[in-house]
Amino acid sequence: MSTEALVQFLDVQKIYPNGTAALAGVSFSIRAGEIHAICGENGAGKSTLMKILFGLEQPSAGVLRIGGKEASLRSTRDAAMAGIGMVHQHFSLVPSLTVAENISLGFEPTVGGVFFNRRAAHAFAEDLSVRYRLQIDPRATAASLSIAMKQKAEILKALARNVRLLILDEPTAVLTPAEAGELFDHLRQLKAAGVTILFISHKLKEVRAIADHITVLRAGKVSGSAPLCSLADAEVTRLAMGKLVPSVSRHADRAIGAAALQVEAVSRAARRSASRITDITLAVAQGEIVGVAGVDGAGQEGLVEVLTGDAVPDKGRVLLGGEQIGGLPKARLRALGVSHLPADRYKTGGASALSLTENAMALARRSPRLSIGQYLKSKACEVLAREMIEAYDVRCTSPRQPLGSLSGGNAQKLIAAREFSVKPRLLIAEEPTRGIDVLAASTIHGRMVDLARSGTAVLLFTSDLDELLTLSDRIVVMHDGRIVAQFISSPDLTTEEIGRAMLGLETSHA
Amino acid sequence: MSFASHIPGIVGVVNAMLRVATPILLAGLGALLSERAGVINLGLEGMMLSSALAGVVVSAYTGSALLGLLGAMTVGALLGAVLHGAVHILNTDLILSGVALNLAASAGTVMCLYWLTGEKGISSSLSSKVLPTIAIPLVRDIPLIGPVLSGRNVMTYVAFFAVPAVSMMMANTTFGLRLRAAGQDPASTAIAGVRVARIRLAALVLSGMFAGMAGAYLSMGYVSWFGANMSGGRGFIAIAAEVMGGGTAYGTGVAALVLGGAEALAVTVQSYGAPSELIQAVPYIVPVVALALYARQRQRRTAAQ
Amino acid sequence: MRKALYKRGARLCLILLVIAVVLWPVVASLDDPRGAFFTFVLGPFNDMRHFGNVLEATTPLLFTGLAVVIMFKAGAFNLGAEGAFFLGGVVATAVLLKLPLAGPLLPVVAIVAGGVIGASVCVVPAWLKASVGASELVCSLMLNYAALFIGLYIVNYHLRDPNAGAMLSYRIPLDGKLPRILAGTRVHLGLVIGLLGCALGAVYLYKTRWGYESRLVGSNPLFARHVGVRTVLVGLIAPCVGGFIAAAGGAVEIEGMYSRFSWTDLPGLGWNGLVVAILANNNPAFVPVAAVFLAYLEVGGDLLAQNFAVPAEVVGVIKALIILFSTMSIAVGNPRIKQLLVRVMPGARKLNTEVEP
Repeated sequence: MSTEALVQFLDVQKIYPNGTAALAGVSFSIRAGEIHAICGENGAGKSTLMKILFGLEQPSAGVLRIGGKEASLRSTRDAAMAGIGMVHQHFSLVPSLTVAENISLGFEPTVGGVFFNRRAAHAFAEDLSVRYRLQIDPRATAASLSIAMKQKAEILKALARNVRLLILDEPTAVLTPAEAGELFDHLRQLKAAGVTILFISHKLKEVRAIADHITVLRAGKVSGSAPLCSLADAEVTRLAMGKLVPSVSRHADRAIGAAALQVEAVSRAARRSASRITDITLAVAQGEIVGVAGVDGAGQEGLVEVLTGDAVPDKGRVLLGGEQIGGLPKARLRALGVSHLPADRYKTGGASALSLTENAMALARRSPRLSIGQYLKSKACEVLAREMIEAYDVRCTSPRQPLGSLSGGNAQKLIAAREFSVKPRLLIAEEPTRGIDVLAASTIHGRMVDLARSGTAVLLFTSDLDELLTLSDRIVVMHDGRIVAQFISSPDLTTEEIGRAMLGLETSHA
Repeated sequence: MSFASHIPGIVGVVNAMLRVATPILLAGLGALLSERAGVINLGLEGMMLSSALAGVVVSAYTGSALLGLLGAMTVGALLGAVLHGAVHILNTDLILSGVALNLAASAGTVMCLYWLTGEKGISSSLSSKVLPTIAIPLVRDIPLIGPVLSGRNVMTYVAFFAVPAVSMMMANTTFGLRLRAAGQDPASTAIAGVRVARIRLAALVLSGMFAGMAGAYLSMGYVSWFGANMSGGRGFIAIAAEVMGGGTAYGTGVAALVLGGAEALAVTVQSYGAPSELIQAVPYIVPVVALALYARQRQRRTAAQ
Repeated sequence: MRKALYKRGARLCLILLVIAVVLWPVVASLDDPRGAFFTFVLGPFNDMRHFGNVLEATTPLLFTGLAVVIMFKAGAFNLGAEGAFFLGGVVATAVLLKLPLAGPLLPVVAIVAGGVIGASVCVVPAWLKASVGASELVCSLMLNYAALFIGLYIVNYHLRDPNAGAMLSYRIPLDGKLPRILAGTRVHLGLVIGLLGCALGAVYLYKTRWGYESRLVGSNPLFARHVGVRTVLVGLIAPCVGGFIAAAGGAVEIEGMYSRFSWTDLPGLGWNGLVVAILANNNPAFVPVAAVFLAYLEVGGDLLAQNFAVPAEVVGVIKALIILFSTMSIAVGNPRIKQLLVRVMPGARKLNTEVEP
């Protein structure tokens, strides 16, 4: 491993036209042949940094040097020419194309310059697969691959272009602890083959396991950059967080009441495997927070669909307070006191083009406070929105501005405010703090606990195992459409145990 | 009454079907290319109309039908580029830009016609040329299908060969691969280093070219003059044919034949005394019915899985 | 707020610029360019009759513009207003000629009947979309033409006056006509009805719960479902209401302006309604202003055509460019254009060219 700098950031800034300074002067170096980790909380600037390296954004100021020479990457093509490849968090594979076609896309082997040489493309993909020991079927279509396979295909796609620097963006977010371990093995092999790796993550434990050098970002600046062996965990956390963030934890003094939600032997066969559930039985009591863990596609989506009125169960019953709610339409569920914080906040959770007021009032539109029959009281609607903004600390200039103009964290806070403030009997929360900054996440966690304290039954679906452990009273693990394990939350419970259950390796019922 | 005595009638209907289907098929292929690239081309109607005028004007002034055809295709391609420019550079709405193009073409062709001939209705004062029909020497003597296969307009043969050509292009060329990728997942395609904007420009230009062929056929093959609004909604019917065809070249071909056949049959029925206005409504009602049936079929298929 | 006004003003200037750019070559080639230009710009105001023409032309645009706004705001991309307008006129004529009813009730019944039956041009595609998922856009475009020919069939085979020469219907009974409201012009009660409709439309969209739910669906149908709105119902109701308004507009136009049904082709007022809706930024409160503006352009074009050797179709090209430049984002997506602009107007630096991170 040489000490020669492959990539150098010299006081790089990125200021967006609306004034947000994503990077406020970043300076650090990535040495050739090392595994370099970039750490920091959501909102610290990791994404922006990576986009600049990959040609998706250009810096507003500062210099980027690659291989000693000043580089200006205006497109992903430029980045590829500079030997930079990236494995995206949400993957960049075209679903209907095969793995081989995806890998070759953009520099396809041809016959006579016009016709696509499929055979050569397949051979190339096979060759890569063998060379880097990443097993994959080049003929499979991208849509048919599992998450872990998609990631392998992504990596191969990046490697196909003769990369010097491979960027991985939060690669373990969608993997179980065991799959993450396998990924790390692959990364070590790549390092041995001479590839420099840039590993972006906010999970310190993983960074420790794999990286040589770490750079910590905080609020758009580098707060520290050093070889990992020289930094203790506490030191890294301090560099990343700066100030103390109020921690939220469930307390034993929360009263747990009668059963609110009862799911009894519910099954649903569906075309999509992620929607398939078999023989699900669980109960959530008033004031209880039950967390659901599982890898992507283990059936959580199917359960959510049944509970939120998007699908009808084939077998079994769903009861809320003793009443049958399985198969009822969404409007009815809302009337019965079911709230839902969806995973995709801009797709389902809100309308980006409409104002904060129009988003906030959506659930309370029939209440006498906001409407008399059909007539809407505009003033009252705005007052309601202001109350929510105040209570949830939503940073905005006016309730009239569109939802899309808020940052992810603030938008999520407003959406949470809307769903929580109707005092539901049951709250179904999906990935409530995914991709938002630490302060906003803390606010939402606090309000969720408050909601539980006031008697709401909460069913929490999340891939963030730390969040799961912090908030839940009980944890349920799904695998392949079934519930395979239940744990009662205790200080001894580790993410490893949950991780094994997520893979179906351990079934325990506490 | 023997079967043989009906043959001329049947042949006539089949030929009418081919005649009606040709512009729809050509424009339909144009709709296919743009739609698979992720840009729905609603301006096909206006492109066809403008190309029809261009064909008439160029062939009248140059005395050559071939140059007229090329002029029509060029105009179509240019309009495709203009549409792309509006959406990509000016950030206008794709669908409304197509609508605007149609309005501009409808008004603009009348204005051009007026300036060139002093008339607003029809181009009869221009001696435009005609695209020839082709008689194939041995084929035309084959019993039954001879009179159908031989003696069709050249554009019908072009359309016939365009279908496998487009199909092969989409499946086996790198351009086709990139086009399909750009249409399905432009973000990933861009990340792979493909210039999505260029692909879309190419798709719209090709789309315009096909519309140009269809337009040239309307004013130089179907009849030999240009009349205001002579495209008569065929651009939209072509889009319907593409949807019915399930987004494939062969499917579009079959759909165009079905629609052509429906109209040809309707015209035959007219000679038995049905009101001409209702017959004229048929080419627009059949696509709606067909689209509805196709959609229902697709719905059932996805529900069953 | 100020930013929105700045955007609106800039857009209006752009539209005026576009009109000038289109007109200039046309007008410059004439013998009397100044005369032609002033005829176009000032002609519609220079006497009562011409001003009346502007108001007469505004009336149908109020209906079709409102119809398109209501449908688009609910997310229904339905272009059937053109056919609905035509069919509404046909049905109204049929009712006026065939129904033995006297007095002020006759025109009202004709409008309602025209509205209900004409609305089918919009409702059928919407229903097909809701039930089997067929494209509402394509089906509505087809049905415009179907409505034309079916309407012509009705007129030519059932309503035609054999003594009247060309393809004209019998005379509409005087009872069935809408009264004139402005002396010296042909402006009729339809103008008032249209203005009322726009006012009601604005109240409906922004002050009622149904209107709010409609806007939710138009803005994000998944979100609307999420909060319990019956999106399928909204998707059907909006084209019903919009189709009814457009068709009623056709009926009103016949009753107000014609003594016989004489349309032989789609009158193009549905497409004009689309332009009006875009100019009004899909807000019913601005539809009257946009309608007057477009009517003014049309009358100007007609005057130009009458007095100079310029075809009135020049207004068609202007309309197309208006659509184009109205939907253009002032937030120009291409950074190179912004760089160009900045060199010319330093203030352009503040323009938003990128989406938030």
